[in-house]
Amino acid sequence: MMVKCVIWDLDNTLLSGVYLESGSQPPAPDPAMLEAAAKLRSRGILHAIASRNPPEAAQYAAQATGLEFAAAECGWGRKSDAVRRIIVDLGLAPDAMAFVDDDLYERAEVSFAVPQVLVLSPEDMADAVGWPEFSPATVTAEARRRGEMYAERRRREKEARAFAGSRGEFLRYCGTEVTIAKAADADAPRLHELSVRTHQFNTGGEPVAEPELRRLIGSPEHQVTTVRLSDRFGDDGMVGGCVVQACADRTWTVTLLMMSCRAVGRGVIEALLAWLTGLAARGGAQVLAVPCLVSPRNVPLRLALAASGFRAAEGGSAGQPVAVFSRPLPGPPPEVPGWVTTPENQ
Amino acid sequence: MTGSGAPDVTGELREILARATGREELLRMSEQTPLFGDGVGLDSLTGTLLLREVHRRFGVDVAAEDLNLDALATLGALAAFIEERVPAHPGPAA
Repeated sequence: MMVKCVIWDLDNTLLSGVYLESGSQPPAPDPAMLEAAAKLRSRGILHAIASRNPPEAAQYAAQATGLEFAAAECGWGRKSDAVRRIIVDLGLAPDAMAFVDDDLYERAEVSFAVPQVLVLSPEDMADAVGWPEFSPATVTAEARRRGEMYAERRRREKEARAFAGSRGEFLRYCGTEVTIAKAADADAPRLHELSVRTHQFNTGGEPVAEPELRRLIGSPEHQVTTVRLSDRFGDDGMVGGCVVQACADRTWTVTLLMMSCRAVGRGVIEALLAWLTGLAARGGAQVLAVPCLVSPRNVPLRLALAASGFRAAEGGSAGQPVAVFSRPLPGPPPEVPGWVTTPENQ
Repeated sequence: MTGSGAPDVTGELREILARATGREELLRMSEQTPLFGDGVGLDSLTGTLLLREVHRRFGVDVAAEDLNLDALATLGALAAFIEERVPAHPGPAA
């Protein structure tokens, strides 16, 4: 199904900041999103806005981006209601719509309430302009694969809603396979891409260049690891990675941990943290430490750390920019689920 | 609503958790139920949905105030964390 209209969130999506927090100078358009939007417009695809902002924000966005918006819904209600109103306003079918939002919750809410809508993160958008849904003329193998991945995701989410058991049971039912492996030189481009594009699951918040990644992959003091994900619905490829440094004082430090939000809710980050804990314990470490930028954007990562038994040092506060989450290693290591392939059990 | 006229924070949290996880039996869970691990089995996805819904309904931003998310230890701990911050919460309009 071809997408005929893209509905954009504004804050941290089409705009490179938060409209109401920017004082007298509203945030500029995000260059990558603006480029994608301009390409789509040139193919005749409409744009619309669904934003938690006053209506002036839509007028500002139109003026700042130079785009014409066929509809704009600004307000503080549910995003799915805004999406439904736009569908009615424009007289389009729900499956001719895409919705782009940086916020995990908003995406989940729209996916749940209007499942026919193609729901994307800004991270997806650079690729998405090459997908068949957005470009009937471009049918590269890669574009075809990305489109399939979305169809797979929609089938998986539909079944998840109908599934009666726990999430763990659903992951087993899907034939989920998580593969944790030592990184090779050829993995550097995708690891770099993950460092640039992941925000909700990223301890660092700074891009890591490919040459630096190759140096770390070759360094005897570091261990660079990749994580791949697939299930019977499809293969998501490399969805995460991490860098671990073994220090002399028996503390092992995870200097970078990142995962694509595409893999959220599929047991990947939990499996990776469990495996890292066991790895450090077997390596003779007393403590596994994860320094982590504390920001509102990576709260999902803090949830995963808390669920896996990591805590920041006493006296730490949520206001400081970086907190060191750690886990003492004596004691039984957490169980790595049976569907996880590691370098040890391969 | 409880007898004192205070909002039933615990009841609302049970409802949010049952919806986020798709597990109806959580509507009957005790206040001592851990939210992580064997209890509710909160993960980064269901946890995000819970925190956002708590922020929306009660105006309490747990992640901003609680670095280690200790408030998520049990259902009762989260209810107490919220009640300390919104003594006069009027309850949902519906």
